[in-house]
Amino acid sequence: MITLKDINKTYFGAVPLHVLKGINMHVDKGELVAIMGASGSGKSTLLNILGILDNYDSGEYYLDGTLIKNLSENRAAEYRNRMIGFVFQSFNLINYKNALENVALPLFYQGVGRRKRNALAMEQLERMGLADRAHHLPGELSGGQKQRVAIARAMITNPSIILADEPTGALDSHTSQDVMQLFRDLNRDMGKTIVIVTHDPGVGRQCNRIIRISDGRIITPDTDIRPTDSSDNNTISCTCV
Amino acid sequence: MKITLFDRDNWNEIGATLARNKTRTFLTGFGIFWGVFMLACLMGGARGAEDMLRRNFNGFATNSAFLFAGRTTLPYKGHQKNRNWNLDNKDVERLRQMCPELSTITTQSVNSNNSFRNGRYTFSGSVWGVEDKFTDVMLPTIESGRFINEADNSLGRKVAVVGKKVINEIFPGVTDVVGREILINGISYKIIGVAYQTSKITMNDRIDNVVMIPRTTFQRVYNVADKVDAIMLVGAGKTDMTALEDRFRHIIYQNHTIAPDDKGAMWYMNISEEFAKVDNMFAGVTFLAAFIGLSTLIAGIIGIGNIMWVIVKERTQEIGIRRAIGARPVDVTMQILSEGTVLTAVAGMSGIVLAVVVLAVTAMMTDTPSFQMSMWQALEIFIGFLVLGTLAGIIPALKAMRIKPIEALNDK
Repeated sequence: MITLKDINKTYFGAVPLHVLKGINMHVDKGELVAIMGASGSGKSTLLNILGILDNYDSGEYYLDGTLIKNLSENRAAEYRNRMIGFVFQSFNLINYKNALENVALPLFYQGVGRRKRNALAMEQLERMGLADRAHHLPGELSGGQKQRVAIARAMITNPSIILADEPTGALDSHTSQDVMQLFRDLNRDMGKTIVIVTHDPGVGRQCNRIIRISDGRIITPDTDIRPTDSSDNNTISCTCV
Repeated sequence: MKITLFDRDNWNEIGATLARNKTRTFLTGFGIFWGVFMLACLMGGARGAEDMLRRNFNGFATNSAFLFAGRTTLPYKGHQKNRNWNLDNKDVERLRQMCPELSTITTQSVNSNNSFRNGRYTFSGSVWGVEDKFTDVMLPTIESGRFINEADNSLGRKVAVVGKKVINEIFPGVTDVVGREILINGISYKIIGVAYQTSKITMNDRIDNVVMIPRTTFQRVYNVADKVDAIMLVGAGKTDMTALEDRFRHIIYQNHTIAPDDKGAMWYMNISEEFAKVDNMFAGVTFLAAFIGLSTLIAGIIGIGNIMWVIVKERTQEIGIRRAIGARPVDVTMQILSEGTVLTAVAGMSGIVLAVVVLAVTAMMTDTPSFQMSMWQALEIFIGFLVLGTLAGIIPALKAMRIKPIEALNDK
C-alpha cells in the first residue's frame, strides 16, 4: 500500500536542515502501523510526505501503486481527497459547521450532491455512534466526540489509507482508549490501512507494528511484527490483537 | 469542473461564512453600501441640479444668434464714421436667400414706454413687433388664446398677445380676456392671447410685461417703415453660429454700405456661445460629482480588499483544513472571491435602493423629476462596483490560494 524508497528531505532555512535521511519503509494493505519517535526526529515530516501535504527532495513514494512525486497542487488535492483520510491531534473541524457538514465536506470537493453527501455523512456518523450529534457544532461536542467526527470525515471518501497525527494527543486516557479501539475496529472489520504517528507508547502498543524513527532514519528494521523487549519503557513495541 | 455559480451548495457555503462573523460582514458591507449610496446620489443629483439650472433656458433656442444695428466706426465710400443705420426687411430677405443653414430668420421691433389701458386701469411697458416665427427663437407659454400667426402679419391686423402681468394689472379679476380690447397709446387692439415665460433669458423685457403685435402692424403704427430693431437667427441642426458671423456681417454690410472690416457697426449676440459656456459648467459639475463619487468608490473597494485580507489571515487554518481534505487551490480562490462579490452585491444593491429613495424625495420636494437615476446608470454603478469589489478580492484570494495545508495546520 505504501512504499518509500530512499526518501530525503531537507528544509532550506538559515541553516539547511536535513530532516529525512534516506527513509525506506513499506506498509501493506490492511496494516495498522504506528510511527514513533521523539520530537524533532522527523516523524511529522514523514507523515506530511505520506499525506501529500509536503514534497520530498529525492527518492520514490508509491501510494496504492501510484508514484507520488512532483504533483501539481490540483493533482495533490485530488489524491488527498480520494486516497487519504486525515485525523489530526487538534481535530481540525471547521467550527461554524455542524458535525454532519464537517463529515460531508470532502464529498463537497468531489462534487457530490448535497442530498447524497449528507446521507453518506449520516451513515458514517451512525457508525461512530454520533447520529444524535449530527446537527451539533464542534464547540458543543466533547473531545472524544470531535475526534470521532474527524474520523468519520476521514472515512467518508473510502480512502486507501488513514493517516492519524497524534490522534489521542488532546484526549484523556479513557477517551484515548475509545478512539484507539475505533481505529482497531476500522482496521480489523473494514481492512483499512491505518498509519498513526504518535509518541505515546500506549498507542503504539495497540498497533500491529511500530516503525521507529530517530534523527531522520528508521531505526527498527522494517521487518515483520515481532515482540521486543527493551530496557526503555517508552520504546516497547509488541503485537496486540 | 462543476460550475460553482449555479451550485446551491456553494451559495450555502458563502452564506455560512458571511453569517459567521456578522459584525465584520456588516461593517465591510456598510463601507460599500455608503460608497454606492454617495456615488448614486451624486450622479442622480448632478442631473437634477443641471436640470434645475437648465430650466432657466426653457423655450429658448440654444443654437441662435441676434443681430443689432449700432453706429459705424469707420468711414466708407463717402460716408462719415459714427453714422446711424438700421436693420430692415431687406436684410431679412437677403439672409433668407444667402444663408440656407438657418432654419429661422425673424425680427423683433421694440418700442418702450407705451401706455396700456382698459377702462380706468392703465399700465406702461414695451410693445414688440414680431412674427409667428418668434416662437422658434423664444417659446412663450401661452396661457390662453393663441400666438400671432402669418395671416396677422400679412394682413397687418390690429391684434395683440398680452403679457400675463399686463393683464393682471389692467384686467383685474377678469378670467377670460381673449377677444376683448386693449388700448395701446389710445389705439384699440383685439387681444388674441395671454403669454408669459418660464426661462430667465430676456430680450428687452420679460414677455410677462410686454404686449406683442404683428411686425407689419408695428411698422405701420410706429411709422418706422421697413426698419426692425433686431434680427433673430436660428441655425438648423448643429450649424456653427460662430463660423457664420462673418457671412452675416458681409450680407448686412453690403446692404448698408458699411466698411467690411467695421466690427463695431453691428452687434452680434451669439446665444450658442453662451450656451456652450453653461454646458461647460455643467460638464464641470458632472466631472466633480463623478470624481468625488469615484474617490468614495475607491475608498470602499480598498476597504473590501483590506477586510478580505484580514479574513484570509484569520481563516488560514480553516483554509488549510479544506486544502488537506481535498479542496483545490481554485476552490479556495473561488470561495474567497465569491464572498467578496456576494457582499458587494448585497451592500451595493442596498446603497442604490436608498439613493433612489433619497433622490425621489428630493425630486418631489424640488419639483424636478430628473433628480433620479436611469435604470442604466444604476446598473452601471452596480456592475462597476461588483467588478471592482471582485477585483479587490483577487489579491487576498490569491494569497489564500497559496496557503499550503501543512503550514496552515501547523499554525495552531
